[in-house]
Amino acid sequence: MNCLQVRELLPELAVGVLSPEDQRAVEQHLQWCAGCRKEANELGSAAASFAFALAPAPVPSGLAEHVVARVRNASGAPGSRRRMHTAVASIIAAMVAVSGLGWGAVMAGRADRFAERARQAQLSKELALEQFQKVLAGAPVLGDQVPTSDTHLGQLAPTSGTRIGGGAVLQLVSPTTLDFSIVIVNGLDPTDAGALPYHVTLSNAAGAVLRAGVITALDNDGGANVFHQFNLDLTGYTTVEVTNARGELVLRGTVDQTS
Amino acid sequence: MHTRADGPLLVREEQQLVEGLLAGNEDAVRMLYTRYARPIFTLGLRLLGSAEAAEELTQDVFLAAWRKAARFDPTRGRLSTWLMTIAHNLAVDRLRRETGVTRPTLVLVDEVPEVVGTDEEESMIERDTALRALESLSDAEKRLLVRAYFGGLTAREIAETDGIPLGTVKTRLRTALIKVRRANQDKEPM
Repeated sequence: MNCLQVRELLPELAVGVLSPEDQRAVEQHLQWCAGCRKEANELGSAAASFAFALAPAPVPSGLAEHVVARVRNASGAPGSRRRMHTAVASIIAAMVAVSGLGWGAVMAGRADRFAERARQAQLSKELALEQFQKVLAGAPVLGDQVPTSDTHLGQLAPTSGTRIGGGAVLQLVSPTTLDFSIVIVNGLDPTDAGALPYHVTLSNAAGAVLRAGVITALDNDGGANVFHQFNLDLTGYTTVEVTNARGELVLRGTVDQTS
Repeated sequence: MHTRADGPLLVREEQQLVEGLLAGNEDAVRMLYTRYARPIFTLGLRLLGSAEAAEELTQDVFLAAWRKAARFDPTRGRLSTWLMTIAHNLAVDRLRRETGVTRPTLVLVDEVPEVVGTDEEESMIERDTALRALESLSDAEKRLLVRAYFGGLTAREIAETDGIPLGTVKTRLRTALIKVRRANQDKEPM
C-alpha cells in the first residue's frame, strides 16, 4: 500500500472498523512511514477521546482487586522473572540507544523493497527493543540478580551472498547465572520456504561451535527470535552465524563481550 | 509513587505511572484503575453489551497496558487516549471473534444523562473535553462517528445504508475526527 491508499483508510482504522486484512496492511505501512503514522496517531487520539463522551456506568465492586491481581500475577513478585526482565529490557534500551548499534547500517543490506524502512533507524531500534522484551517475557527464570554488567550486544549483517536481512544479538555472560543468547533476525525473505529452517550458531576463536537455536518460521517482515540457555560459559563465543536450510550463510556478526 | 490522586496528570506524571505499571507496581496499577477503569468499563458495556464482558474487557485492558507499557510514548499522545484505544481495539477484536453477536445498540452520546463522580476527576475532565469536542460537530457528523465508533459500522456499510458514495462517508469521517482532534488540542497538558 502507498501513502495515498493508507491515508484513505486511516479514519476507519481510528474508529476500529477496518477489515483485519486492511488493518494489517495499514499497520505494516505505519511501521516505517512517519508521516502516515503521525496522522494515524492524531485521528486515533480523536476517536479514543470520543469514548469519554459516554455517561459513566457504575463499575462493579471487586473489579479493582481482579485487575490488580491479574497484573500482579503476570508481573510477579519483587525479584521475579518479570522484574529482572524489565530491568534487563531497560539496560538493553540504554545500550541500543548509546552503543551506536548502527541499526540503520544493519538494515541497509536488505533488498530494495525494504530500503525505505531501512531509513527509519530509530523506529527499528524501538522494534528491536520490543522484540527483545517479547523474548525476555517468555524466557526461563534465570535468577534474582539483575545482570547489569554481563549483557552484551552485537549486530548481524547479511553476507555477500544473500545481501538481505539483518539482526541483533544479546548475550548474558554471567558468573552467577546460566548464560543465554537471544538472536533477533529481520528482513529475511519470508516467501523463501526452502530456506527454512535457519540454524543459529555461536562460535569461538578456537572453532568450537554451539547451537543457539533453530528458526522454523518467519513473520511477514522476515523476522524471528530465538532464545537459548547454555550450561557452559559463553565467554569467547562471540561469532554468531545464521545459516539457511540450504547450508548458505545468510547473516553473520560479532558480539562485543568487552563492553 | 508520587503521582497525585486527583486532577489532570502532567506528561511526566503519566510517564511515571506507566513506568510503575511496567514494573508491576501495585500502587501504579491502583492509581491507573482509579482514574481510568470507569470509562474503560463504560466503553466495554456499550460495545459488548453485558457487564460480565465489560469486566473481562477492563481486566484485559490493564493487562494489555502492562504488556505494552514499554511502548507508551507520552510525547505522542495522552495516557487516557492510549488506554481507550487499547480498550476499543480489544472490544472490537472480541466482537469480531464472536461471530453472530448482535451489534451493540447505538448510543446517542449527546443525549445520555450527565453523571458526575467524585473519585475519577481525570475521566470527568476527559468527558467534559469530549463533550465540548462534540459540540464542534454537526448532528450528521456526530451520528456518523457514533455509528462507526460505537456501532462498529464500516464506511461501506454506512454508505450503502444511506445511499451515498463511499468516498463521501470516508471524507466526512475524517473531517469529523479532525474537528474532534482540533477541539482536544487546546486541552492537552504540557
